[in-house]
Amino acid sequence: DSCSNTEKKYSRDFLLKFADLCTALPEGFDVSPDIANALIFAYMGASHHEHDSY
Amino acid sequence: VDESSKSAVPQSHPLEHSWTFWFDNPSVKSKQTTWGSSLRPVFTFSTVEEFWSLYNNMRHPSKLAPGADFYCFKHNIEPKWEDPICANGGKWTMTFPKDKSDKSWLYTLLALIGEQFDHGDEICGAVVNIRGKQERISIWTKNASNKAAQVSIGKQWKELLDYNNSIGFIIHEDAMKLDKNAKNAYTA
Repeated sequence: DSCSNTEKKYSRDFLLKFADLCTALPEGFDVSPDIANALIFAYMGASHHEHDSY
Repeated sequence: VDESSKSAVPQSHPLEHSWTFWFDNPSVKSKQTTWGSSLRPVFTFSTVEEFWSLYNNMRHPSKLAPGADFYCFKHNIEPKWEDPICANGGKWTMTFPKDKSDKSWLYTLLALIGEQFDHGDEICGAVVNIRGKQERISIWTKNASNKAAQVSIGKQWKELLDYNNSIGFIIHEDAMKLDKNAKNAYTA
């Protein structure tokens, strides 16, 4: 059901299937240190075992 | 193993819109007086895979500092009342006890990027405000005068999140004039 009509509609269940496949920050991700410290969970290689389970 | 190769999965799933995460940093905000001067775009994404690459590395609302505002808006719409696309709009807001908004924030994001709203064209984006005693999630829309579209969005949002309390829609213009005394234009 991912590509009905021209609109790209994705259900929650469909989107959740990809949650564990994409763990690294996207290429080209670059923010100022203050934002990185406040926002990025596992900046530069730290593991993120605190990942919430749904 | 190069972890970064995982984010470049060959068959990626494009989203209907590109979306930009914005962050307003409380540690900077306190030193500056003008609202919005510490508001910064973080990253723009346009595929399902990119979304998770960001989400999996970002703090969830319960792990953000009080005062923080975290936005996800359609690319090229700034999360400001002054933005020409937001100027005539308003917002639906849900409130949550401290540390209880993580799942609702994720489900809101997934509903937005997955285009689950019948009136998705009306939506500008969403924000979570982290405060000392509560967290608030709002969905911003474009044309506050279009009652049918606003009410549809409010009702669908509650259904998607299984949220049982009544929610209110505040028109930005009213909020600008009346601040906290602005009344709900619509409820759902």
